[in-house]
This record gives sequence, structure tokens and C-alpha cells, in this order.
Amino acid sequence: MDVNALLKKLSQTTGLSGYETKIRAEVLAEWGRFVDETRTDKVGNAVAVKRGYARKAHRKIMLASHMDEIGFMVAGFSHGFLRVSPIGGIDARVLPGQEVIVHSRQRDLPGIISSTPPHLLKPDDRSKVISLDQLWIDVGLAPAQVNRFVSIGDLVSIRRDVTELKNGLLAGKAFDNRASVAAVAVCLELLATIQHQWDVIAVATVQEETSALGAATSAFGIAPDAAIAIDVTYGVQYGSAGNEVFPLDKGPTIGIGPNMQPKMTQGLIEAAQRIKLDHQIEPMAGSSGTDGWLIQVVREGIPTGVVGIPLRSMHTPVEVVSPRDVEQTGRLLAEFIGGLDEKFYESLTE
Amino acid sequence: MKETLQKLVESFGPVGYEDEVRAVIRQEIEGVADQISVNKLGSLIAVKQGSGRGKKIMLVAHMDEIGLIVTHIDARGFARVTQLGTVYPIYHIGGRVRFASGQLGVIGVDRREDNNKPPALDQLYIDVGAKDKPSCPVQVGDVACFHRSMEAVGNRLIAKSMDDRLGCAMLIETLRRLRTTPHEVYFVFSTQEEMTSAGARTAAYSIEPDVALAIDVTDTGDTPRALPKAVELGKGPAIKLQDSGMIVDPRVKEWMVKRAREARIPYQLEILRGGTTDAQAIQISRDGIPTGSLSVPCRYTHSPSEMVDMADVENGVKLLLALVKKPIVLSDE
Ligand SMILES: [Zn+2]
Repeated sequence: MDVNALLKKLSQTTGLSGYETKIRAEVLAEWGRFVDETRTDKVGNAVAVKRGYARKAHRKIMLASHMDEIGFMVAGFSHGFLRVSPIGGIDARVLPGQEVIVHSRQRDLPGIISSTPPHLLKPDDRSKVISLDQLWIDVGLAPAQVNRFVSIGDLVSIRRDVTELKNGLLAGKAFDNRASVAAVAVCLELLATIQHQWDVIAVATVQEETSALGAATSAFGIAPDAAIAIDVTYGVQYGSAGNEVFPLDKGPTIGIGPNMQPKMTQGLIEAAQRIKLDHQIEPMAGSSGTDGWLIQVVREGIPTGVVGIPLRSMHTPVEVVSPRDVEQTGRLLAEFIGGLDEKFYESLTE
Repeated sequence: MKETLQKLVESFGPVGYEDEVRAVIRQEIEGVADQISVNKLGSLIAVKQGSGRGKKIMLVAHMDEIGLIVTHIDARGFARVTQLGTVYPIYHIGGRVRFASGQLGVIGVDRREDNNKPPALDQLYIDVGAKDKPSCPVQVGDVACFHRSMEAVGNRLIAKSMDDRLGCAMLIETLRRLRTTPHEVYFVFSTQEEMTSAGARTAAYSIEPDVALAIDVTDTGDTPRALPKAVELGKGPAIKLQDSGMIVDPRVKEWMVKRAREARIPYQLEILRGGTTDAQAIQISRDGIPTGSLSVPCRYTHSPSEMVDMADVENGVKLLLALVKKPIVLSDE
């Protein structure tokens, strides 16, 4: 698999929370090559099933990686400019001057997020962060034209192709969480060469950035015996400190804390050790901030693990990730799944 | 509908204490619905049977309103309170409350160093006219609603708890006017929306509808120096696109827009920041329920004088009828 090409394609595809149609088609096509069956569920999750060889017990492990990305929705107009409302955790600090695409009913319109020239700002305001309410999108249309092309509710996505940095690192707009979607693809491909007892149900979830709707509903529908949420985590970068950041190129993180069933965490660590895979332990004191948080409490409770891919500049149009970490994450998942058996299942309730 | 609405808004029903409202609604729909039941958490569920080939649709409006609960009575008989639901103290100084017993009280405020700053809730107290603690007619744990009658100002109505007795009144009216439908329609009058949506959440779990709509009020952007929002009073009911708890299923939004256009009902599109409705809890129920929301524009929400325009209300009922009478088609974008 060409991981770089896959990462590029996935990051550059549009898929704002609640409107994942395009990215879902890409994910189903990519994952579909390695599995027995694919489907789209009631809320729009992409589901791919790879059957295990155990016919009797028929255990299921669910892999959840969200495919939605943050963006905006047109909320109003003034002088031909568009006011927008955020979809997901938008960071207003990085927005002025960005290029966007306005997905209007007829066609996609290029736009830019306008910014007041510093010369026209009061001295006090020059060093202030501009709030989202004061950011306007310029699509070049005159006030009288704008309503012909753009309506309230039209989506606006960040326009940014993937850039390759030194050391093979990639920067793009949606590696949160398309990096994990790619890691699951790596895992599914590897599983063709690994004997695994359990059925693997890979889900590319919708709306993680807003409500984790896709994770909770797919976990309910699938009712897996165990689940792993794969999401990006904070990479070490300038200005970062403490134990909540993890260097790139040192492998995936394995979450430990109340969101994670201890046997799941232990199983993931042991899988990494079996194949001498670089990995990092990520303590998560409360919510993991991932799909795993809701999955854990679905139905009578689902033993959940969380795996993270370190990423720098999260929730900006230039999220930086290492393709090597993505590959290693896929390997970790495949090795863990290969080791699942009845003994492990029983150990979950020991 | 106005009469029903007046009965509803003037009823007592803070979050978790919806009995009186439920009794009023039950009276209004007795004999109109095919089946009426109350679920374990107090939501009232009325069913209108369909002709058999349709879908299962759930319409929900919440019975509860914001209110206060007594936390402490001091030696002189003044009561301190905390909120049930989101209460903005600035709206309530000098106002009145009513306890379940019918006991009235005045909302007073501590003397403050800086009168320009709005007070916090713990600076408010309730004066029920007591001489001292032993003679105080209210106790810790007693619940109160804000006390205000409904009034008309032209074609606009002002009252407490339009949020969401208005939705309840619209569901009742829809049920009354609905002669035939292919669908099995569940009219759910839910409890505790203002805190956890416990009522709608559990009702959705047991009903398992194919599609659901919450009917609730939404703020407008048409008042002086309001937060920018493209929703105005009198411009039609609003079809929700997103709020802070959910992204509305685009298929549901398209279905609602289509029916509004066909029936030539004016409508607006709503994006709400800071707030959500029962729809959010329903959408995430079980393996997911396509859910939308019909919002009625309302000024001064969560104040004792919530203002709505009757034209929006009437158009909202018309849209609900158009939605439940015809086939429901949820097609992909
Ligand atoms: Zn409400």
C-alpha cells in the first residue's frame, strides 16, 4: 500500500461533520479492497467487515476511526460577504487569510477568509485574536449576486492540499482523523496475511467532532465484544510541554486510564512488544476525547482501547503527521487482532 | 389553540415536576389520540394510528420549564435557591415565583457594591412574606416556577414557558387536525429537556421511530444589538440545520424544506449557537435515528416574557401536518 498517496487522498477529500458523503465513498473504496463486505449504516457510518475464522464463538472487535473533519456552515450575509458558524472545534486564531471552498447548491465556489488590514485597526486590536463572529468570507460576489449563489446552510471547507515536509512528514487539513482511517486501511491489508479468529468490523464514524454520534450509534448496532478507537493525539512541538505530548516517529500511543478497559490496554502493549514495535504510553486521566468515550458506555458496556497517532498543529489546516507512525499503528492493530482468542475474551471479565 | 396555549403556559412544571402540565395535556387530547400512555420517566405518549403502510414518526415537545429549587431558609425566613435548567438572574429581579402549593414569592437581590454588574443566582433570594424561619411556608427542596400570565400584544403573545409549552400546544393542535395519515405518529410530551433530555431520550429508546422531529423554540437575531442570527419573528417557522448539540441529518432537513415549499409555507433556516433540544438526545438513541427540529422563533427565551408570533405558530402547525400526512422520503444528498 502506498500510505503517502492514501493519506494525501483522504486528507484532501471533503467530509464535514454531518455531511460525510464524499469521504465515505473514498473510505469504502479503500477499505473495501481488503474486506468481505461493506455497508453504510443509518447515520452514515462507513462499515467494513472482515470475517475471522472462528465459526463457533464468533467474537467481534470494532475499530472506530472518525472520518469527519471540522469546517463551517454559512449563517448569514453582509455586504456580499458570508458570515459562518463553526462545525466542530474551530480555532479562530488560524483563520484569517485562509482559502476555503463554499459548497453551494449549484457548484463549489472558491473563497477566502477576509481580514481587516492592520492599518485600519485600532492599535489595541492589532494584537487581538479575531473571533469567528468577525471573520467574513469573501467569494468575490456583489451584495446583489450573493443570494443567487449561496444560501444559509451551505458548507464551507478549508482548501488545502497536502504538503510534504522534510523527513517525509506530511502537512494537511484533515489528518485529524484521516491519518487513523489510513492506519485502519493498513491494518485491514495486513489481516489478509494473518490468521485471526475474531470478526473485524472497521467503522469510519461520522460526527466525532460535534457529538460522537457515529461512534455511539454504530457501537449500539454492532454490539461488539471489544472496541478500539483510533484517533490523533498531540505531537511534541515548539511551545508544547508536559506529559500530554508525544514525539512523532516514535510509534502510536496506547491510552491508559478510565476510558480504557485495562485488559485492552495490556493486550495492546503486549502486541506491540511481541513485534518489537515502537509505542508510547498515553495516560488519559478523564475522557479520552475520542470516539472511545461514548463507545465504552453503549449497551451493557463495551471493553474499549484507545490508540493515538501523534500529530502536530491539531485543528489547523496544516496538521503534521508521520506516515511511518500511520503504518506502525496499522501494524499494532493487526498484531493485536491476530492475538484475539477465547482466552482473551474471558480475561475481559476476569 | 390560544386557549390551550394559555392553560399550558400558566401551568406549573419545572424540570422534573411536570405532573400538572401532563394532566392538562391529557385532558386536551383524551378521545383524540388512539392511545395514550405515560412512560417510566413521566413523558406522555399519544399515538395516532396510520393506515398501515407508512413509517413510524416521533414528534416531541417538552413539558418542563426552567425553575428554581430552594436550597436554604435563613433565620428571617428568606429562601435561597438554585436553578432547574438555565436561569438568567438578570431577567428575574423584582419578579415573582409560584411554588407547587400555590404559594407566591418575590425575587429579591442582595445589596451589591457594583450595581452595574448583573447579579449571580446566589445573590437572589425569595421573599414569601414570612416573619421568620419557623413560620416560613416553604422548605428546602420546594420547587418554584416563575409567575407570569399570558398576554397578547397584537398578533404576538408573551408568556413564561413558551419554551416549550408552545411546542406542546402545536402538537396538540396537529393531533386534533390530523384526520388521516399513512404513518404511525407518536406525539411525545417529554420531561426534563431543560437539563438532560431524559424524557425524550428514553421515549426514543422505547418507540424506536424511523424518523423524529423536536418542536421547540429558538432565539431570534432581530432585536437591538442581538447576536447575529438569520432568524426573525414572524418570518415563518425555522428548520434547524445545526445547534451546539447536533448536526441535523441533511436528509431530514431536505424533506422538511421540500414539504414547506410544496405547501407554500414560509420557513427560515436555523443555526443555533449555545443551546440544543431533545432532538440531540433522540438522534443518538440506539443505532441512530434520523432527527430534525422545527423551531419556532421566540424573543427573550428563558425570560418570563417569551414572545412569539402567532403567524409562525400557525405556519408551524401547517408544516407539521404537511410532514406527517404525506410519504416520508429521506434521500441521500
Ligand atoms: Zn426548549
